[in-house]
Amino acid sequence: MKINGVAIEDTFAEAFTMRVARLLITGRTLGWAREAAVKLTGFATSVIGCKCEAGIERELRDDETPDGRPGVSVLFLTMDKASLPEQLIVRVGQTVLTCPTTACFDGLPEAPDRLPVGKALRVFGDGFQASKVIGGKRYWRLPVMEGEFLIEETFGMLKGVGGGNFLILARDADAALASAEAAVAAMTGLPGVILPFPGGVVRSGSKVGSQRYKNLIATTNDAFAPTLKAVTQSQLPEVVNSVLEIVLDGTDGPSIEAAMRAGIRAACRPGVQTITAGNYGGRLGPHHFYLRKILG
Amino acid sequence: MSDAITLILMTAPTQTLVADCIAADRFAALSAQAIAALPVVHGARPATLGDFFRVRGERASVVRIEGDCAWIEAIGSGMAGGELVIDGSVGRDLGVAMSGGRIDLRGNAGANAGGAPAGAARGMTGGEIIVRGSVGDEAGARMRRGLLVVTGDGGRGTGKGMIAGTVVVCGKAGSGTGRFLKRGSIVALGEVERPATFRYACTYRPPHVALLLRYLGARCRLDVASAQVTGRYERYSGDLAELGKGELLRWVGE
Repeated sequence: MKINGVAIEDTFAEAFTMRVARLLITGRTLGWAREAAVKLTGFATSVIGCKCEAGIERELRDDETPDGRPGVSVLFLTMDKASLPEQLIVRVGQTVLTCPTTACFDGLPEAPDRLPVGKALRVFGDGFQASKVIGGKRYWRLPVMEGEFLIEETFGMLKGVGGGNFLILARDADAALASAEAAVAAMTGLPGVILPFPGGVVRSGSKVGSQRYKNLIATTNDAFAPTLKAVTQSQLPEVVNSVLEIVLDGTDGPSIEAAMRAGIRAACRPGVQTITAGNYGGRLGPHHFYLRKILG
Repeated sequence: MSDAITLILMTAPTQTLVADCIAADRFAALSAQAIAALPVVHGARPATLGDFFRVRGERASVVRIEGDCAWIEAIGSGMAGGELVIDGSVGRDLGVAMSGGRIDLRGNAGANAGGAPAGAARGMTGGEIIVRGSVGDEAGARMRRGLLVVTGDGGRGTGKGMIAGTVVVCGKAGSGTGRFLKRGSIVALGEVERPATFRYACTYRPPHVALLLRYLGARCRLDVASAQVTGRYERYSGDLAELGKGELLRWVGE
């Protein structure tokens, strides 16, 4: 299979079941909402080192938010149930609570599993906090120096999907980067998906474990590192001199598929040799995204 | 089972009619005959609901009342769920001791709407009462939880002794509004007289009021001005003669 002369390898991306929450952060301006969201989702690229993965899903218009102000939708994922509220409480407390004019609302109101994020953060009010029930939902009002911070008492948690991916194998680094940028642009703002890495792109894809260091859980993906072509069992064709990876997390499989479809199509540009995907032979993750099936 | 039950006032009461049997959640399991047989008190005499109302529909938790019920008291008393829509004015004790559901009144209400039964420590403990008109004295008195919205004027002592919850008055709030407030919020979009035992805190844009007013606009189709949603409010803490954890929020404009 080829798109714009770029070969689509007959393989699949292997992804994992994660726990996901969606936060809606609003502010007096979109700029302040985005400021809080950027800080909230900072250092949240991979569960390997950050214990969570997070990113901005999309920007929200005034009429899409509970309080009628501009906002940003954020997805937050962890590997297990227990660590999602832990991460949210710490991060929301340090980034959204501290950010001027912002408020924080649940973006998964139908989810039966509820995380007591606002309920935990309310004690910052030192007894001066107050709750309000509006439309059947409880909110906490925390008095702060600026005025008041408003946060929903609980946030919904669903089973999500983490680790959807595809790799761009290009003739040179410039072509790989241009392709990755085009893919990210095509996927940005699609519902139910985030790209947790810097600019949505990963240059340091990893393999499980280490050939040399016993204690490491992940090390460089030498089979896809062009500088190691001559000294390792490389999976790169002769003409490939640079590889970039796009990693996707999302609320569900169909959202990941839709984003991969848009992203791969956009990535098939001049200078790109092959699009492939990372997997572990299907042994580790229950979600398999077959590239040719998605694009077919 | 019907989509809704309609009570049509056929015989106007000549004296006060206490109809505390009318509650949306109670009707949900009853046939039309059983609803008509529910007891009421007319003057001091026992009667049935069917003596005054024609009942259309059965076994539904959405109840509509048609007719001028200004002589009828205690409608929605102790209601715990469902929706009660009243086209016309009602007497005192609307939604007294209510704990859930919604009452949507297209008219005026008498005294003690959403309040406490005589001698009881607590008024309504949940649910929503929307009065598209004015209320009598002591609406929301001793309210423990819930929401009371008055699009017209509030009587004397609105929200008196509130323990928690929210009262919104769009028109003029009567004297003594919020007196003996322990916790809870009184949002005054119109003229209000601040009790002497309330102290000014600040002027700000309360985020929960914006959320609440947007909710009322969307869910209850109340006509709320955007200047009130996004506007500034004076916050008065009180009642400092009581617990002092309550607030009176007075809209002061954009």
